[in-house]
Amino acid sequence: MYEEENIEPEFMKRDKTNPFRTPDRYFDSLGDRIMGEIRHPAKSKTTSTKVIRLLKPVLGLAASITLVYILISNPINHFLLKGTINSQADVTTAVSSDYDSTLSFSSIDDNTIINAISSDEISPVSQINPEDMLAYLSSRMNEVEIYSEIQN
Amino acid sequence: MTNDQQILDSLKDPSTKELAFRHLISTYKERLYWHIRKIVMNHDDTDDVLQNSFIKIWNGIDSFRGESSLFTWLYRIATNESITFLNQRKRKMMSSLTDENEYLIENLESDTYFDGDEWQMLLQKAIAILPEKQRLVFNMKYFDEIKYEEMSEILGTSVGALKASYHHAVKKVEEYVKSHETRIDP
Repeated sequence: MYEEENIEPEFMKRDKTNPFRTPDRYFDSLGDRIMGEIRHPAKSKTTSTKVIRLLKPVLGLAASITLVYILISNPINHFLLKGTINSQADVTTAVSSDYDSTLSFSSIDDNTIINAISSDEISPVSQINPEDMLAYLSSRMNEVEIYSEIQN
Repeated sequence: MTNDQQILDSLKDPSTKELAFRHLISTYKERLYWHIRKIVMNHDDTDDVLQNSFIKIWNGIDSFRGESSLFTWLYRIATNESITFLNQRKRKMMSSLTDENEYLIENLESDTYFDGDEWQMLLQKAIAILPEKQRLVFNMKYFDEIKYEEMSEILGTSVGALKASYHHAVKKVEEYVKSHETRIDP
């Protein structure tokens, strides 16, 4: 069916000259290059390339997870940090106000303190009669009874 | 004793193996080069494939049982290496949406070691767009004038199937050349 004599198209009547060529003296050094390659194979880039190729999807996934984590955790950290700073600011304010009152107390001079202690001003405690106090302590009344007693 | 048989005997002796292999390279380098070059088209790719083929031959020479001629065995290895090379390229090109034929034509057009005229370029392009098997058969029959029986051993295909492939290849090349030839200035 496919006999050659039946196939003689025009292009086959043309010259079959090889249109390709090689670099000058290419074949002269070919034997040495091949033997060199056999004796000292080019350092295999296969091992590292293979490892990288195998790890590529894993590294890509890890990078994506890290990115997502950073994107999510950063705003959270930002808010948390902001809250912490605010509360720290409150504490600092409180501490500094305590510090201020300490300073204001220490700024009172000694004479003022002595005068305050030795003044004749009657304290509320000094107005309580010792007998009333004793009666109160021995009465065993509860808070409701004390309240109704006062009201009466 | 044939020259091939002498090479094979020397290759089996460790003391003469390297010298014999150099002799084998010297004997077959040009024929294998041109066989590979017609398949992958570009010189640089051919150089890579040829070196890989000889390394495969060196590594596999101890397993060569002489069931086919040395020439057939070497051609088979070179052909397989060429096809493997093109398949690897094909896999890489899947992302760039180009196919093997386009790759071959690009290879051909960018090859600085192509000295042919416009008509020869047209013929090579017509060959480049053939399916792989038809391209192999066409090159081996038309340019290298390898007999179908030998081709059958190299490619592992029946003589009838090879004849059919060649017939279809010739028809396609003829059609391509006819449809594009008018564009070439005389």
